[in-house]
Parts: sequence; C-alpha cells; structure tokens
Amino acid sequence: MLLKNTYNEFVKILAKPRSYLGIGALTLLIGVILFAMKADGGSFISFVTASFEQTLSFNGNILNGNLIGFIILQMLIIHIPLLVALVTGDLISGEAAMGTVRMLASKPISRTNIVLSKFIAGAVYTLILTLWLGFLALIVAKWIFGTGDLIVLNSDGLVILQEQDIMWRYGLAFMVAFLSLLTISSLSICLSAFADNSIGPIVSTMAIIILFTIIGSLDVSVFDTIKPYLFTTHMASWRSFFEDPIPMSKIIQSVVILLVHNVILVVIAIVKFNKKDITS
Amino acid sequence: MEKETVIKVEHLAKSFGSFQAVKDVSFTVSRGDVFGFLGPNGAGKSTTIRCLLSLIKPNAGKIELFGKSYTNNRSEILSKIGSIIEKPDFYKYLSAQKNLEIFARISGASVSKSQIGEMLEFVGLTGRGGDKIGGFSHGMKQRLGIAQTLLHQPDLIILDEPTTGLDPQGIVEIRNLILRLKNEQNKTILLSSHQLSEIELIANRMVIINKGKSIVEGEVQDLLNAQELVVHLEVDAVEKAKQVISTHFSNAQFVGETSTELEVAIEKNQVPNLNKALIENGVMVFALEPKRKLEDFFMKIVQS
Amino acid sequence: MKNLFLFSTFLLFTFFLKAQDADAILAKVVAKINAVNDYSVDANIKADIPLIKILPVNATIYFKQKDKFKVVSKGIAILPKQGFTDMNAFLAKKSSYMVVESGTKTIGDIKTTQLTVIPTGENSEFVLAKLWIDTKRSLILKSQITTRSSGTVVVDYSFADQAEFGLPSQLIFTVDVKKFKLPKSVAADLHDTDNKKKKDAKDEKSGTIVIKLTNYKVNKGINDSVFKEKN
Repeated sequence: MLLKNTYNEFVKILAKPRSYLGIGALTLLIGVILFAMKADGGSFISFVTASFEQTLSFNGNILNGNLIGFIILQMLIIHIPLLVALVTGDLISGEAAMGTVRMLASKPISRTNIVLSKFIAGAVYTLILTLWLGFLALIVAKWIFGTGDLIVLNSDGLVILQEQDIMWRYGLAFMVAFLSLLTISSLSICLSAFADNSIGPIVSTMAIIILFTIIGSLDVSVFDTIKPYLFTTHMASWRSFFEDPIPMSKIIQSVVILLVHNVILVVIAIVKFNKKDITS
Repeated sequence: MEKETVIKVEHLAKSFGSFQAVKDVSFTVSRGDVFGFLGPNGAGKSTTIRCLLSLIKPNAGKIELFGKSYTNNRSEILSKIGSIIEKPDFYKYLSAQKNLEIFARISGASVSKSQIGEMLEFVGLTGRGGDKIGGFSHGMKQRLGIAQTLLHQPDLIILDEPTTGLDPQGIVEIRNLILRLKNEQNKTILLSSHQLSEIELIANRMVIINKGKSIVEGEVQDLLNAQELVVHLEVDAVEKAKQVISTHFSNAQFVGETSTELEVAIEKNQVPNLNKALIENGVMVFALEPKRKLEDFFMKIVQS
Repeated sequence: MKNLFLFSTFLLFTFFLKAQDADAILAKVVAKINAVNDYSVDANIKADIPLIKILPVNATIYFKQKDKFKVVSKGIAILPKQGFTDMNAFLAKKSSYMVVESGTKTIGDIKTTQLTVIPTGENSEFVLAKLWIDTKRSLILKSQITTRSSGTVVVDYSFADQAEFGLPSQLIFTVDVKKFKLPKSVAADLHDTDNKKKKDAKDEKSGTIVIKLTNYKVNKGINDSVFKEKN
C-alpha cells in the first residue's frame, strides 16, 4: 500500500502547476546568472582575486563552467529551499485545504504510510530539482563557458583545483546538497502535518531557515552551544568538498546531523498525523 | 435468523476542547439494513460518522465494525467500507478518471481502468472521465463521490447527505441506487440525510440523535406506527369537521387549517373511524391522506 | 689643497670608469637577450604563496620581440606580474635608466657583479632594480626589482643548455605578499562554525613561484596569431 500511495503522490505532484513553477523559476534564475556571467563575469572574478593581482597574474580559463557551477550553487542556497518548500509544504496541508484528506484517511491505508509516501514523493521531487540544478549549473555552464580549473575562495584562502580533480567533488557535493534540500523538504512536510492550509507551512519553513541562518551567523557566545546542531549550519557543508585537504570528519558530522534532522522530522510528522482528528 | 451486526456503537463520546460534540451515542446496524442516521444540525452526526471511519478518535465509548475494533484491524475494516462524508472533494487538477484511479489504488481491492469507466457510466458521467474536476458541477461531484464509494465493492456504505445539491431526478436516481444496492447486493447502508421523506421511503431502521445523544432507535415503521399520525383532510365545512372530530376523538389535536383543509394528529388505528365519523355527520370529505410522518415525528422528538 | 684636488679628480675619474664598466657589462647582457627573436618553452610552474593552494601546473610560454608574451596552460597558472619579460623590455631601452656598479657577491660558486639600475623617467613603473651578473657569461644570476604596483620581486636564475641565449632553465620568484587579503564576501563560508577569522598575510611576508623551463625552441619563428587573445 505504501508503494501504491507513493505512486499516487507522484501523480499528484506531476499534475500540480506549482511543481513546474519551481523548476521554471530555477531555470530562469540560473539563466539570469549565466547571462550575467557571460556579460561581465570578469568583474566578479576580479573581486575575488583583486588583492592578489597587484603582485600576481592568473593565467588560463578562469571563468569556466566549473566556476560558474560553483557560483550558481553558492548563490542559490537560500532560493532553492523556497522552491522545494513550495511543493512539499503543500503535501499534507494541501489535502486538508482541498478536503481530500478525509477521503484519503478513510481508506485502508495507515496514516503512517500516508505520511511516508508523501515524504518519499517529496524526496523524489527534491532530487529532480537537484539534478536539474546540476544539469544547468554544470552541463549547460560548461557548454557556454568551457571547462578548466576551479578557483574557489574559502575562509582560509584561494584553492585552485585542477580540472581532472573536480567532477567527483561535484558529485559528492551535490549529494550533500541534496541531503540539505531533503531536510528542507522534511521540515516543510512536518509543518504541513500541523496545518490545514498551504501557505502556513511554506512561510514557516522559510522563516525557520532565515531565523536559524541569522542565529548561525551571529558572533554571540550565547548561541555557540546550539549553532552546531542547527541544520542551516550544515546546509553549506557541500562547499567543504572544494577545500584542500577535504575535511571529511567535518562533512561526515554534517551529514549525520542532517540525517538525524530528517529522521526526527519524519517521526514528528507521523506521530502528529496519526494523532490528528481529521475534521476538514 | 439473527442478522450479523455490522456497526455497533456504544456510549460514544467526543469533545473538542471544552465543546462536547458527542455525549452518549449508541446504535446498532445489521447486515442488509438501510439505516437512517438523523439529527438536527449540530447534533453530532458528522462527528459520529467520522468516528466510525477512524477520522476522529473518540474520547469514550466503543465502536465495532464487522465485529472488530479499529485497534489492529483498521485496514481490514476500512477495505470493506465505502463512504462520502459531507461533500465529496477531489483533486481539482486531476481528471475524474485519474481521481478514481488514485482512490482505487488504495482501496484495498484491485480495480481496473475499464471498471472505473463502467462505474462512471453507472453514475451518469459517461464520457466525462477525462474532464478535470475543477470544471464539475456540484451534482457531478456528488455522482463521482458515489462512484468512488462503490468502486471497490464495499460491504458497508456510509453516505452523509448524498443527495445534497442534486436535482429531483438525481435524488430519485440515488434513492433507486440505494434500494438496488440493498435488494440486489445485500449491502448495508448508513444514510445520514435531511431529506426525511427519502429516509422514510428507503430506510428500514433509524436512530435520531440530538445534542450529542441518541434519542430513539428502531425500525422506522414501528417507530412511526406507535405514534400519532398527522392526517390531512380536504372537507367542505372545516368548522363542522372540527366539531365532529373533537366530539368523537378526545385525544385528537388540530395541527393546522385553512378554509377548506384541516390537519389533525390522531392515533393511526382511529383513522378509519375518522372518515366514517365525518361522513356520518354530514361532512363531505374530498381528500384524506397521512402527511409528513417522519418529519413530524422527527420534529416532535427533537423538540421534546 | 693641491692634493685634495688631485684626489677628488681621481675619485671622479674612477667613478666615471666604473659607470662605463657597468654600462658595458649590462650592454653585453642585453645584447645576448636581444639575440633571441622568439622562443617557446615548456614550463612547470609551482607556486607557494600564502593564502593560495595550487598544485604544479604545466604551461607553454611564448615570446617574440619586442614584447609579445603569452602563457598557454590547460589549467590556471599563477605567474608573477613583474620581473619576467617586462624587465628585459625595460633594460632594452637604454635611455630610460642609468646603471651603476655597486659591488660584488658570490652566488653559488660564481662571483657576480652587482649593478644598480635607476630609472630616469619620473613615471616609470620600475622604481629600482638590482642585478647580480655573471660577467664571464653575461648572464643575470639574480635580480631584485621594485615596482610601484607590485612591490619588490626577487628572481633567482639558473641556466643550462640555453645559457648562450641567456635563457634560464629555472626561475625562482620571491614575491611580496604583505598586501594580500581575502575579501569579506558572499564567497566566504557562511556557516563556518569554527569561527575562523579570515586570515590575511600579516604574518607571512613572501611567497615563491618556481618555474622550470625545458624544451626551448629558439628563433624557430612564431606566428603573431599565437599571441592574440581568444574571444
């Protein structure tokens, strides 16, 4: 029954116009970034290398598809969660708003399976969005800008990664980025279990992301204890794959924390939905 | 032979915060019954039905369906039930066919696309399977709701206001459908409706609830026969008719009158004598018919 | 008084002779450099610069008189902005500087003559240059160049089979890194919970770039199209 209802959820997601809104918005955003980089990417690079360029000159194809892909991933870290939440935040509460939840919950499928099937479908949608992002950010960018070494600005300096050393890093980075976005999906679905309308979970998800991001960036000792456990702290851990050496223990720690968040959010959603009186 | 008990509700109670929607509801539905579930607005009907379908968890009381409780038997029980709760809602962005396919997949039975097509035909939606629900009228959605209810051949059908929004033809069609399901397929049907005339025509058993409590339960005809009848008379002399009735039937009560019509509540076994008394005393009787039995019974019960 | 006058005259004459010597020494070096019309060479560039992590990169360097210069690499290569062929171009314009002999120094086991090159133009990019020259082979073994924009760059030269052309087999650039700073920006790690402060190169004063040059092709002719920028 779980598989059958998961298939149902795919059918519903594919039929909803807002699912394509997210993909369309992503395409448009990336298109704008690609256009801007093509028009004046040099200024962007100069901003990063400015203080070095008095003494050094950087030769080679710096503004290449690998760098553009990195810039796109970097820039969209706040925007893509909204596009994910737009669809996943509606998965449970949208049914309540539409009235179909009572039809669904009076069928011989457990409420746990209803919630799990929505999580699975939400995860697949998030994966599709991530893969599309990867395609546009890397494949299309490489087609437009060519390929080459990747110059990355980290907190401890510039790292220049050789071309043959980049794709596997991107592969792993996208996996971790997917896990970050999956956490957003799980959060919005969890909030969706508490609401009877679509807007509430979406807005709440974004508010939580923004709040946690602000807490994470404030240099205040009172927040030091909780910062390592906020999921937003670990959402940018994909960047660590572009450091040299790669801080694997830090990345593994982030992955574990994100996975734990996902599990907790799924459990909360299941418990809530099981206990909920369906009056809509 | 004692019939199998399909629904057994005992002392059901449910509150939402400080508001007690259901206080003490009990009733039994046997296999093959068309069971009328009646009550005024706010009596607790929807809450009770939602408890029956495990949409709401009661605070107290016991519910058994097919002899089993929901604990550990939820899927098995729900696979035998088809239901419409209030107005049927569907996924507006999907077609009628797709909506039925979605619900069929999780109904616990194997339902093919051709069966769905046949069901659409059955409820009068031939050729509309590909249309999006967003363009459906209320009546069409109601029909589709019934299709969704019957798709997996359930043993128990729970219908909450199934004729709401239907035209007279639609109402007749639903009535006939329910009777066919009862007579031809021995389905058990729990029917909540405000169309009391419909309940009177098709239900064999009923319960009336009010303010969260069961008031009366039993066979429809027994309940109605045990009570007074309201008789509608068309006579040539209303005042004279009233005098005759008051003289011969001390317990009769006048319910309403016009210049040529009179309504009187009287015990059913005295109706033949009523006609005889009027004629023998020179009152010409142009019409004599029982009027809105269940409606009056219902109003009396609820108001008492 | 007469002795003082004689002594002063002797000093001036000696100074004049030394200046003439410095000019001659440098002229021989420049002549050697100018004998090369063009060359291409394979370079292995290894940069060890504070705040920059980069693996060694292979590139091909092209040069054509007077000042055409191109580095072609598959990846990103970091080169010093000054102290490469720009110095040779500067030295070729004799009128733009004066040169004075300012001592000797032994580099390795070679005794070199130290020349100080002082630009004469007020707007010259070069502020000062010191050259340590192997006068026997007319080769620069070390240079220290101070420019307005890039600070001071020290270059150590090594020569092998192309010494006759004055083309080195290895260059070690030591660059000034005091001005290096990382920009505070969107590119930084927003979620850096280690509270790492962005380092600047305060504690480190210099970085090095080692360029190994092999497989020279000298005076074989290079098409101007090689030096055109790709669009």
